[in-house]
Amino acid sequence: MTQLPFRHRREIPDCGIRTHAIVEAPLSAVAMLRDAPLPAGGPALPPRFLRHCDEQTVVAVRAVLNAIACLPEPLPLDRCGVVGAPCQAGRIATARSLAQLRVGGAVTVSPHIVPQCSLHSLAGAVSVALGMHGPHLGIGGGPDALAEGLFTALTLFHGGAAEHCDAVWLLASEWDTEPELDSSGEAINDPVCRAIAMLLVPESGAAHDRLTLTLHVPGTQSEAAERTSLADFCRALDMCAAGSALTAWGISCPWGVEVRLAARPPAARITSPRLREAA
Amino acid sequence: MSPVDRSTVEPVVITGIGAVTPLGCTFAEIAENLLAGRSGVQAIDAGEYAREPVQFAAPVTHIPTPLPDACGLSADEFERLGRLERLCLAPAASALVDAGIDRSRGPRIGLVLGLGAEHLKTWELDFLSGGSTVFGDGRDRTVVHRLARRLGLRGPAVTVAAACASSGYAMAMGRTWIDAGWVDACVVGGCDILSPTSIAAFYNLRALSRRSDDPAKASRPFDGDRDGFVMGEGGAFFVLERQCDAASRGVTVRGELAGVGMSSDGAHMVIPSSDPVHASRAIAAALADAAVSPDEIDYVNAHAAGTPVGDVAEAGAIRMALGDATDGIPVSSTKSMSGHMISGAAAFEALACLAAIDRQAAPPTVNLDRPDPQCRLDHVPHVFRPRRIRVTASNSFGFGGSNLCLVLRAA
Repeated sequence: MTQLPFRHRREIPDCGIRTHAIVEAPLSAVAMLRDAPLPAGGPALPPRFLRHCDEQTVVAVRAVLNAIACLPEPLPLDRCGVVGAPCQAGRIATARSLAQLRVGGAVTVSPHIVPQCSLHSLAGAVSVALGMHGPHLGIGGGPDALAEGLFTALTLFHGGAAEHCDAVWLLASEWDTEPELDSSGEAINDPVCRAIAMLLVPESGAAHDRLTLTLHVPGTQSEAAERTSLADFCRALDMCAAGSALTAWGISCPWGVEVRLAARPPAARITSPRLREAA
Repeated sequence: MSPVDRSTVEPVVITGIGAVTPLGCTFAEIAENLLAGRSGVQAIDAGEYAREPVQFAAPVTHIPTPLPDACGLSADEFERLGRLERLCLAPAASALVDAGIDRSRGPRIGLVLGLGAEHLKTWELDFLSGGSTVFGDGRDRTVVHRLARRLGLRGPAVTVAAACASSGYAMAMGRTWIDAGWVDACVVGGCDILSPTSIAAFYNLRALSRRSDDPAKASRPFDGDRDGFVMGEGGAFFVLERQCDAASRGVTVRGELAGVGMSSDGAHMVIPSSDPVHASRAIAAALADAAVSPDEIDYVNAHAAGTPVGDVAEAGAIRMALGDATDGIPVSSTKSMSGHMISGAAAFEALACLAAIDRQAAPPTVNLDRPDPQCRLDHVPHVFRPRRIRVTASNSFGFGGSNLCLVLRAA
């Protein structure tokens, strides 16, 4: 095999971030978030749509809705794809289900457990809730989900996967610390669930977007990469978006490449919406 | 975004195949069983958590132990791995051996694993064996990273989930990585495992067949008497690489991954849309990506799992995408024999397409005694149909309205 270079992958951004939103909600507040009023002027959800969804999905859907509310002009959502990168989603529902299984047998298993607590569930819920017809897929599922989700979203800009897509929603979510559960599956702590929603648009249409993502491949590949937490990434994104001194941030993938978040120089910037909501 | 113009990129071909399925663990054995119409469905012992006294499924009855050179583990070490990891590692290692690829180039070989509910299954199987991981607060790396390490692959490694289309999305993702120059070769595929909770959840959702008489008759895609699907387990893995690299290595090319089409219904978390437009768009996109017209398709491997709603929706999508050519294209569902392997289904059915190309025959849909008039297609009931097969299409649809079509072409 030829040792092909990672051709023209180093300097040109792969995409712009058209809008983003971060939502943080303690577990005790997620129940309220399922039925909370939606952002004004944004799309509606099907009735009781979030009733059976996993907590990470509930928080991520809210992040998408908040990000949409901040768009300077409406975007046709039906031409969007979705990449959902949760971390250990579905653990509370699974624990409850297994505790019930032990007591009541297979008849107690909820039919919602597979469609709502699998790796694809977050992306599927957003796709269904907002009527998106681009491809949707779940990525990662473990502690490296953020890096894997970023890498995968960028791959969609390079293949037929994104045909008929104008943009891709990248969603990442995780608990700040994992829920501690008793033997019935009830949480005994109140961890914070954090989700970020970013609307990625191809570079060709992102000249005016403040924030960009670029896949950077070092000349020599490193073996081990330090993991970037979702909390750190959210902070960096906020700082870059706010025009602080921080203008770039790298997220290392476990296999040695890096996804670079960057803010364009001020002259090239236009005001980009940003909203952070703490439930 | 525009799709890649495939006339400007090197074709991506399949040079390695590995499988662990209810119908066998080698390409030859699986191809033979598919054409013979043999069923892998049997009555299983679901233990104390059985949903019904008699439960049918298509389990993997034997996981072959890879040679130590292939996965870095002795036979004893391999047997000590969890079942899910063994179900993934054995066929992935087998695919690499089949491709004869030089793994010293680890950083340039990627791995995309289609696996939809890894944590759900891992937590459950741990719980059922007396563990309590699900109640703890640990965060372990996912199985794809353990696979990559054992296989000596140090390129990108990602788990992809799109419900029942997961392993097909993995194949699509691997091809994209090769197109983009991020890897020289990629191990792609997917696998799934039977578990009491998954069987109970699909049963309680009324998605599973409730037949309890003859296991081999339970999976009945497109038949008027179908009443749901039968779960299977296992899956398949492939090694993808550029055609020019395969030629320079002088290896056997099993087929080309010529086209990929994807879309979403955006309609319901479980039920496929009754409007075939979005599923048909995935099929049409795959044909366009492969630069083939409908009348060039020689065989369609349908997703058709045997659910009353899903089979009708797919028949409509096929007819909408293929138009007048539909009546001359044999369509079959190999799930009638293999059961529904969930995350592993799309890769297994891609393998079935390669078998159709290799044997120049369309595999049958067994149990298709009385085709549903709402599923008006050129079915292949009961016995295989010999014919010239050069271009095939394989559909996969999943929860959340995920639609995928792969076009596989003879080398």
